[in-house]
Amino acid sequence: MIALVAQDTQTVALPGPPVVWSLLWPFLILAVGGVLLVTVTSVVPVLRGRSFPAAFTCLTALASGLSLIPVWQRVDRLDLVGGTIGSGTEGPRSLVSGAYAVDGFTVFVTGVICVSVFLTALLLDGYLRREGLDGPEWYVLMLMSASGGVLLASANDLIVSFLGLEILSIAAYVMAALHLRRAESQEAGFKYFVLGALASAFFLYGIALVYGATGSTTLQGIFAAGPNAAGLDPRTDSSLILAGMALLLVGFAFKVSAVPFHFWAPDVYQGAPSPVVAFMASGVKVAGFAGLARIFLYAFQPYWADWRPAIAALAVLSTIVGGLLALAQRNVKRMLAYSSINHAGFMLLAIHAAASPDDGGQRGAEALLFYLLAYTVMVTGTFGVATIVGGRGDGRHDLDDYRGLSRSNPLLAGVMAILLFSQAGVPFTSGFFAKFRVIGALASDGSYALGGAAMLAAVISAVLYLRIVVSMFLIDNGEAHEADHEAVDAVAGGRAAPEAEGDTLVEASPEASVLTSVRAPAPTALLAVCLAAAVTLVLGLLPDLGGGILSDAASALLLAG
Amino acid sequence: MAQYLPVLALLVLAGLFAGLSFVASKIFAPRNPTAEKLAPYECGITPGRDLPERFPVRFYLVAMLFVIFDIEIVFLYPWAVNYQELGLFGLVSVLIFSALVFESFVYLISKGALDWGPLQVSRRQDPMRSADRTTASTVRRVGQDGRTVTVLDAGVAAEEAGSGVAA
Amino acid sequence: MVDVIVFAVAGLIVLAGGLGVVLNSNPVRSALSLVASFFGVAVLFVLQEAHFLALVQIVVYAGAIVVLFLFVIMLLGVDEVEDLSIEPLSGQRIGGLLAGAALLVFLLGGLFLSGGDEGAVAVTGTESVTQPIDETQPNIDNLATDLFGRNVLAFEATALLLTIATVGAVVLVRNAGAEDLSVDEPGRADH
Repeated sequence: MIALVAQDTQTVALPGPPVVWSLLWPFLILAVGGVLLVTVTSVVPVLRGRSFPAAFTCLTALASGLSLIPVWQRVDRLDLVGGTIGSGTEGPRSLVSGAYAVDGFTVFVTGVICVSVFLTALLLDGYLRREGLDGPEWYVLMLMSASGGVLLASANDLIVSFLGLEILSIAAYVMAALHLRRAESQEAGFKYFVLGALASAFFLYGIALVYGATGSTTLQGIFAAGPNAAGLDPRTDSSLILAGMALLLVGFAFKVSAVPFHFWAPDVYQGAPSPVVAFMASGVKVAGFAGLARIFLYAFQPYWADWRPAIAALAVLSTIVGGLLALAQRNVKRMLAYSSINHAGFMLLAIHAAASPDDGGQRGAEALLFYLLAYTVMVTGTFGVATIVGGRGDGRHDLDDYRGLSRSNPLLAGVMAILLFSQAGVPFTSGFFAKFRVIGALASDGSYALGGAAMLAAVISAVLYLRIVVSMFLIDNGEAHEADHEAVDAVAGGRAAPEAEGDTLVEASPEASVLTSVRAPAPTALLAVCLAAAVTLVLGLLPDLGGGILSDAASALLLAG
Repeated sequence: MAQYLPVLALLVLAGLFAGLSFVASKIFAPRNPTAEKLAPYECGITPGRDLPERFPVRFYLVAMLFVIFDIEIVFLYPWAVNYQELGLFGLVSVLIFSALVFESFVYLISKGALDWGPLQVSRRQDPMRSADRTTASTVRRVGQDGRTVTVLDAGVAAEEAGSGVAA
Repeated sequence: MVDVIVFAVAGLIVLAGGLGVVLNSNPVRSALSLVASFFGVAVLFVLQEAHFLALVQIVVYAGAIVVLFLFVIMLLGVDEVEDLSIEPLSGQRIGGLLAGAALLVFLLGGLFLSGGDEGAVAVTGTESVTQPIDETQPNIDNLATDLFGRNVLAFEATALLLTIATVGAVVLVRNAGAEDLSVDEPGRADH
């Protein structure tokens, strides 16, 4: 009898969704790498030091980056020859029952995130040694955060997008607060968490409304429910989906710190540990932009006329306000925070151009991808220099602390100058071509007003970078400098607090007017910033290096729609 | 919906019982309060001092871990009910999931997050044994552990720094 | 008819709970009002035949999450009564009320203006692209098929998210005391 019942309940096992493991590797290596790192360091306490996690993270990022090559070859062939992706019906090559999509765009973005992880891991190593911190958690959280970023960039379903966003952000919140001895770091983590959670709530609400309007959470489903699908009333539920899109845009705008949603950025960038800021400004932001581009340029492509003005408004506000507010700052990390808001505006402009139905679309998408790469490298490098100059205690971030850097460490000053010139968009650096491509795309789209605003913003922000450069190369007498320093400290007692923490070593031996961390920076950190500067120069001198990759990836982003 | 009728009935009964108990004790109970009777009951010991106003943050950690593992169990439940239909694929999915759970468990144990014995940390924090007392000064500043210097102290710090240069 | 009554009662409980959360000056009472609100939501889930979700609502939200809230309230001290008459930003209450009212108008507008044939009120005019739910199967079976089929990647990603939560909670709480000793104090020059 029992056997009979068992026989009855024996049903055919559901076949699981097909999983193309070979295309999942770049994501899996990052995620499994993070999990492995936390497990191994838990089980083998010997490895809990500082060297192993750093080396492991660098290798994981490298491995993930290398695993992109075979993926790229497969996706690229499918894309351009097989036509699976570009046919417009199937969307990007989707895996795991349509939850995850791989195409040239996601491969490119994954590569950029890997670059960010690699450089940040190098920076973190020197930072943790200097600050006397240990614990593999920094690296674990960064790897997991990066895997969340890849997930967000590759998501083909809004639920997966949301999970990617949360993995990306929650790890970043913890990392911001991870310098437990500094109250500023904890404050930064707290602010980032509270505002980020609010943005996530907006995002989730947006997903709910979009699902209500279209009946699907997959990007294809949303696209298919759009007005350009045959047999559907173009006006279908427009108010509901508009509300949903607006809420999703708010969520993304927070992540990429576009202007009305940027208030967290300066505080968090100032307070959080500098290498973590390097990662937040590069990896986290790139992932946010990738998710934004993917969802809006593909799923919401039928509604492009509705959301494009909103993107334009965010973009112009970000470029102008970011540039102007940066001028009012004296803290370099704060200045760079506003400058990254300014860059976010440029990238939004690129998305605006990419939404164009005509020729501007391809150029806009290419500009976005080039900007993402160039921005990641230069912003990681810049915050890397800030990490080094910050000194023990991570408190020396005033503009005055950069004075005479060219004398105390010419290499560092030179690297910083290259990176800052690149951020300003000076020719022969990657930043120039990034900005040039954005403005070019806007022009070919016919958005001359936006292009003009972008140029104006570029000029405004150039002043800010020049301020730092001038301060670095301002050769002044050492004694005068120190005396000046002391006077400033005595007057503005408030600013002396971080000073006292970082400067004890200096003041103990009067002949050393420069911190050892500046005079002899950690070799890994120096390697990271030099690499960043080198890449910036190479991209600036040979902007068409790998141009095929760029256009293929860009067309994948657009053809998907 | 009908299957929830017993729940509703139970709810009503519970409400009635609670309400009636209150009413009954209001009506029938003799009232003769003394100071001893009104004091909080602490196993017969005379109440001494008030409880500390704040609980240690470690309790919060326990609550947090409870939530995390609670959510993980919720995910396992649908699989457990349908494990035959889900077959090998479901099993592998759940195994991957469980491996991640197990891994965070390993982490918890290695960090000592589940230890409730006497803490080594608290011994190290004992100011009488602190290394600070001998190297820098015999007076240890209290109240700014784990914090950077406040503005109030900054002047002192600047002064100290200044004297360092002068020397 | 029964459905309507149950909906009305549960809706009232949800609303009353929500108001209780906002209006109570004692945080513990707010947390307990939240429990009431969660129970109301659970009843609403039952009304939609989502029995498993109702269970999850009780176990995870009313159970675990509110316990977490209570722990945090204990952590911060219950006895400190905040003076609620002080507004850190002047006019923030009015602003909050206005924003809430605007959101309500916005949502109702979305509800009434969207879709629907012949003036009927409809949230959406489109059918779900997923298959209709198999009514003959128990709810949890449908959920399992969906969770381990279409959404299996999200399922695994959740595990990753929970791992991050564990690591984050432990590293932020556990290390706090352990590393205090190496604070850079002003005037110390021995490092």
